[in-house]
Amino acid sequence: MAQPIFSFKGVTDDILKDLNFNIYTNEKVMLFGPSGAGKSSLLFLFNRLRDPKGGKIEFKDRPITEYEISNLRRKVGLLLQSSNLFPGTVLDNLKYGPSLCGEWNPEDAKKLLEYVQLPESYMNRKVDQLSGGEQQRVSLGRTLANSPEVLLLDEPTSALDYRTSEEIEEVLERLVDEHQLTMVMVTHDLRQAKRLGERGLFLMDGEIIEDAPLQTMLTKPKTAELKDFIQE
Amino acid sequence: MEPEVSNQSLLFLIVFVLVPLTLSYYYQLGMSKDIVWSSIRGTIQLFVVGYILTFLFDLNPYIGIPLMVSIMIVIATFHARNKGKELPNAFGVILLGLITVEGSVLALWLAFDMVEFRPSEVIPMSGMIIGNSMVAMGLALERMKSEFTENSGRLMAALSLGAKPNQASHLIITKTLNAALIPNVDRLKTIGLVQLPGMMTGLILGGVEPVMAIKYQLVISLSIFSSVSLSAMFVTMAMYRYFFNKNDQLLESEEELRTQSK
Repeated sequence: MAQPIFSFKGVTDDILKDLNFNIYTNEKVMLFGPSGAGKSSLLFLFNRLRDPKGGKIEFKDRPITEYEISNLRRKVGLLLQSSNLFPGTVLDNLKYGPSLCGEWNPEDAKKLLEYVQLPESYMNRKVDQLSGGEQQRVSLGRTLANSPEVLLLDEPTSALDYRTSEEIEEVLERLVDEHQLTMVMVTHDLRQAKRLGERGLFLMDGEIIEDAPLQTMLTKPKTAELKDFIQE
Repeated sequence: MEPEVSNQSLLFLIVFVLVPLTLSYYYQLGMSKDIVWSSIRGTIQLFVVGYILTFLFDLNPYIGIPLMVSIMIVIATFHARNKGKELPNAFGVILLGLITVEGSVLALWLAFDMVEFRPSEVIPMSGMIIGNSMVAMGLALERMKSEFTENSGRLMAALSLGAKPNQASHLIITKTLNAALIPNVDRLKTIGLVQLPGMMTGLILGGVEPVMAIKYQLVISLSIFSSVSLSAMFVTMAMYRYFFNKNDQLLESEEELRTQSK
């Protein structure tokens, strides 16, 4: 049995109710459920953008509160719904994270562009000249620049059209495998969940009401709530 | 010859009130009551201030100046605080900022003999410094709040990449300071070209030589420029931290801002 990389024990807050589960190294977990179920709230607990009101979260067998926050956030990278790029060039964005701790190696820039399948000529382009899909790729490259062990994704393609979404999914699929990342992703899109995920956590009103391999979950849902969600 | 507006001439000022009043009536703007009330109130306020100033100017400068400057600072603090009510310690930060700005400017004026320590010189000029600083602080607070709301995604992205609040807020601090300073730079560029500044106009009407009036105007314009910059910087640097909690998490709602001050 693999080691849990994250362990949630009795985690509670205004939205989430007594969550108990583990995330294992290299797992690809999809968090899904209706709007307001608490998916993003749960995701932001992993890198301490939020803290729970009760319970305990462990990262590699140590309470996450024992890690220096900036270090934890570098190890647990996050990609948000919008690219949220900083004004400036593609390069300015790629080097942002490593530069904060003086670890930027200029040679990494080329490698990062390659990871997210953008041509090298984009390096000095202003980010506001890029398309939505290209901006999200830069954002992904910026997250990977910190060499995270865990990648959190909060509906990273919801602002993109179908074709661009598929391209981002392809990049993600390859990168997660190549870099052996543990992935936790919030998504509304069951097709995307099936493509990228292995395990599903179905959230409803702040509770995990189903936790199973995705394939099983989507073909044989146990609860009426999940059945309804799939049919929608 | 000292210029004087006679009481009889003052009565004719009513014509200046009748114009907007007629417009309001004709176009049914529903502002007639406001126009009449604000005109009466403004007139009474100015006369009261005139009598108070006459009283203060006759006082010993070591009593009159601290008394009036303190009153102005407290009123300005209450006013500027309204723009950042939901932020903890806004009152204290603004009060301290205004004391620092006014104190430094006054010290420089006196040290370089630009102004004499007389109520008739220090009080009106301090009023301009405090008033402009108050507006600058209020604007900086408002701008900072809207920048934090508009850029919450970017701030979350920066924090997620390992930035500390001061690093994550760098962009917002720059934008806030820019917004506070640009109008001042523009005002200085066009000074005297678009409109003659109020103080200079007053001195010239009072019979002072234009070149002497310009010297005074330079003192006050550059002092205002410096104090506005200092005020905006002071309030921005002191307040941005309150948008985060001690765990470097962004506080997004007004309720969070109020309850989770550091």
